[in-house]
Amino acid sequence: MSRVWLPCGHYHQSYAKDQGWWQTPVIKLKMLLLLGIVLLGVPLLLPGYWVGVCTIIGYTAMGALGVQLLIGYTELITLGHGAFIAVGAYTSTMLVLHFPWPEVLVDLGLAYPLSIVVAGLFAGIWSVIFGLPTIRVKGFYFILTTIAAQFITVDLILTQYVSKIGGRAQSIKIPSDAAKIGPWTMSGDVKPYLLMAVLLILMVMVTANLLRTKRGRAWMAIRDNDVAASTMGINVFYHKLLAFFVAGAMAGVAGAFWVSNTSAMSPEHFPWFLSLKLVGVILIGGIGSIHGAILGAAFWVLVGEFLQMGVLPLADYWPNVLMSFTFLKTAFFGLIICAFLNFEPHGLAYRWWQIKNYFNLWPFSY
Amino acid sequence: MPHGSEPRTETAAQTGTEAISKELTIPKLFLQRCREYGKNKVAMREKEFGIWRPFTWEDYYENVKQICLGLVRMGLQREDRVALMGANRPEGLWAEIGSMCAGGVCAWLFQESLHDEVQYIVDHSDAKFFFAETQEEVDKALEIKDGCPKLEMIFWDDPKGMRDYTREDLMSIRRLQELGRELDNEDPDRFERLINQGHGDHVCLQFYTSGTTGRPKGVLLSHWNMLTMGRNLMAVDPCYETDDFVSYLPFAWIGEQMMSISCGLQVGYAINFPEEQDTVMENIREIGPHVMFAPPRLYEGMTRRVQVKYMDAPWIKRKFYEFGTSIGYRMAEHKFQKTTPPWYLKLINGLAYITLQKKLKDHLGMSRLRRCYTGGAALGPDHFRFFHALGVNLKQIFGQTEIAGISIVHRDGDIKFDTVGKPIPETEVDIAEDGEILNRSPSVFLGYYKNEEETEKTKKDGWLYTGDRGFIDEDGHLVVFDRSKDVITLSDGRPFAPQYLETRLKFSPFIQDAWVIGDQRDYLAAVICIDYSVTGKWADEKKINYTSYRELSQKTQVYDLIQKQVERVNKDLPEPARIRKFANLFKVFDADDEELTRTNKLKRPVVAKRYKDLVDAIYSDTDTAHLDLTIAYEDGREQHIKTDLLIRSTEA
Repeated sequence: MSRVWLPCGHYHQSYAKDQGWWQTPVIKLKMLLLLGIVLLGVPLLLPGYWVGVCTIIGYTAMGALGVQLLIGYTELITLGHGAFIAVGAYTSTMLVLHFPWPEVLVDLGLAYPLSIVVAGLFAGIWSVIFGLPTIRVKGFYFILTTIAAQFITVDLILTQYVSKIGGRAQSIKIPSDAAKIGPWTMSGDVKPYLLMAVLLILMVMVTANLLRTKRGRAWMAIRDNDVAASTMGINVFYHKLLAFFVAGAMAGVAGAFWVSNTSAMSPEHFPWFLSLKLVGVILIGGIGSIHGAILGAAFWVLVGEFLQMGVLPLADYWPNVLMSFTFLKTAFFGLIICAFLNFEPHGLAYRWWQIKNYFNLWPFSY
Repeated sequence: MPHGSEPRTETAAQTGTEAISKELTIPKLFLQRCREYGKNKVAMREKEFGIWRPFTWEDYYENVKQICLGLVRMGLQREDRVALMGANRPEGLWAEIGSMCAGGVCAWLFQESLHDEVQYIVDHSDAKFFFAETQEEVDKALEIKDGCPKLEMIFWDDPKGMRDYTREDLMSIRRLQELGRELDNEDPDRFERLINQGHGDHVCLQFYTSGTTGRPKGVLLSHWNMLTMGRNLMAVDPCYETDDFVSYLPFAWIGEQMMSISCGLQVGYAINFPEEQDTVMENIREIGPHVMFAPPRLYEGMTRRVQVKYMDAPWIKRKFYEFGTSIGYRMAEHKFQKTTPPWYLKLINGLAYITLQKKLKDHLGMSRLRRCYTGGAALGPDHFRFFHALGVNLKQIFGQTEIAGISIVHRDGDIKFDTVGKPIPETEVDIAEDGEILNRSPSVFLGYYKNEEETEKTKKDGWLYTGDRGFIDEDGHLVVFDRSKDVITLSDGRPFAPQYLETRLKFSPFIQDAWVIGDQRDYLAAVICIDYSVTGKWADEKKINYTSYRELSQKTQVYDLIQKQVERVNKDLPEPARIRKFANLFKVFDADDEELTRTNKLKRPVVAKRYKDLVDAIYSDTDTAHLDLTIAYEDGREQHIKTDLLIRSTEA
């Protein structure tokens, strides 16, 4: 009953069809509906504040997608993914603010989009550099090198050198018209949201497509057992570096997107906690699942929002609560992750799969 | 020389896809279809490595042509016999049609047949060539080759395990096709010339009937027999070229040949072959066939699976199931009575359809099913109601190999679960004085191979003596009682068909098979074979320990459970037809022990002889029976068994 989600009478005569995304008209309809909600429903119906929250969800999901690729599909545990988001963000900022763009490109509003591409490529290459130790080190030692990536990139290079370009001490101010795509300046709530939605959809498409190619299958083989994978003729080192490149590039694009949603770029946006958070997101969402990364991001951001809404009224009676809220919030997330590891070790994606199965197997249970 | 009332005839309806003349043969029809569809339509699919690999009619044509010419090069003459053995697969059908194109006569063997059966059939049919599928069939063929002097060559198509076989009389089907291509290059018209030599009256297939007694007999069927049978069935129940059909029952069974060739070639629907025997149910669900023809055991298996899954489902799902089926049963009752259901029942049934029936049909692979047939043995009324309650158009048929398949079938909307329906066009039915059912149609067979005596007994004046007892009811439906020799006499002197009780017992998921005895005795008794997986699961839940089928079958709790099932059946029966005693057998009836035919029909004389001690014990005052007998395993090994069986009386 592995294929119980496909209706009876639906079969494939070729592998291309067999691997298709939207295999039945019903699924196609559902996905188009989802697309409509994301691109039209959210920006038109939700109040501005919540569109902003959705933007944050998308930004977190973009970062988490790369972590998912590394941890969930290739089993390369990374605790320094925030570094590559930072590299992307700073590359884009520097390009937009300091690169001598030809007038034509600036007028056409192509400077920022081009900077996103360059940021992606650069962050990818940066990520590959820190992936190089995988040829020798594994396990805990490798996790340490990813932590090193975080501290070398953010705390050393960005804080000590890049942030001081132009004589500034900390943050780099981004003028409101800096991020311009074609005729649209990325300001307000809706435009950054739409940019996020388009980028996230593209990233999901790229990831989902990669996973059904030879490369994707190689990654999963490495995840399951890298020795077995190499005996099957898979170049383990090459594929690990490729995973680093793709994950880093996606982080770079996510970072470059951040330029459009902030008024100042600071290394404080990319603390080590961001890297840890992304791992937490995929633990909650479910390891080894694309929609798990998105579900996890939504869960994380929304819980934070609701906590804040619950805490604000308390401030009248207990003024200290806002002071200690940041710590409470962190502690609370710790608690949630512990609870997930205990009660829902396969994450939200697995729960979603179970709900679908409940109805697919109707009126039986297997 | 028909006896009794006026023969009931239905005139031939001219709704067949095209007129069939005596000139037409299966190869000629095949050629027409290939020319018509060519590359544009899929003729067959085989599930392999996860996908349904398609073969167009052009591929079909090429493969058949090469095999046919290859056989000719190897020396196949008209009327030469070709034996075939193996699972349902494209190569099997190509070899069959290929042999027919060259004028050969095909005899299929059941894949699980053992040494003696294979030797008997290959020797008796005078087969010159043998098509095997895998190493297993090749081994069987090699074993018997010395005993069959006429057998010249063995062909195989699955190379697995064949590397070290280098004998001269072995050849792969690929090599055979190469030879065929060579001949085709030398003489490009040869293939069509061969086909044109055929005539409708020539023999094309030779079936070995299972025969519940004695040695199998070779039934000779002509092209005309096969094609008229298909046409007349299609006139009643049309199929379309866009349909899908799943071929997974043995080709040695007439029902499968009828669907794949008699109907398949005339309509041109796609034939789908499953991946493995074990994946058949899953593959059926994927394809979702439009038409199905299967013996009752398949439907019994489906019902059992549904019942077991229902028992394991959570409370809320069980309630939905109970609601949906209870409405379905009421709707089915209206259908059987031919009354219009009230509007509110229709409305509620709509609800039941959405919440249950649609999904259940999807699980069973019956979503697209227009109609399905059951035949070959009796299907219990409970099973029959069950499928109609789901909204599945299940129909009984009556037929046999000697009439090339089906002669009598239910019409849509005129279904009675205790009858087998009305004759198809060009078919007459009559009842002899002793109650034997007689049939006459163009599809009645030519005779038994090398057995004049039996032929004369079975076929007189074009009438086929079916050997089944029955009568025609007030609506003109034929009611089949049972095989004449199986009918038993109850204590009150009435004749009774044990099959009826057996099929009702089998509606219980815990009972896989049953044998009802009591001919001219004081009361009826039953020998029950429990279903190992279902009863075993039940025992696991009840924390009952067991290590084998034999041990489980003799547990007191299992006897209690089976007693409840027997008493449920007893409830709505008159006193003399109730089962008074039963015993659980220590094994299931098996075709390898010759207790069943290869189509899973109980061979009553064989079991009566083998379990004589048990029968005697049941009809004496003891509560245990001592058995001492020899059983055979699937690999041909034999074991001597001494065991005691409990005998349990039911509540009066």
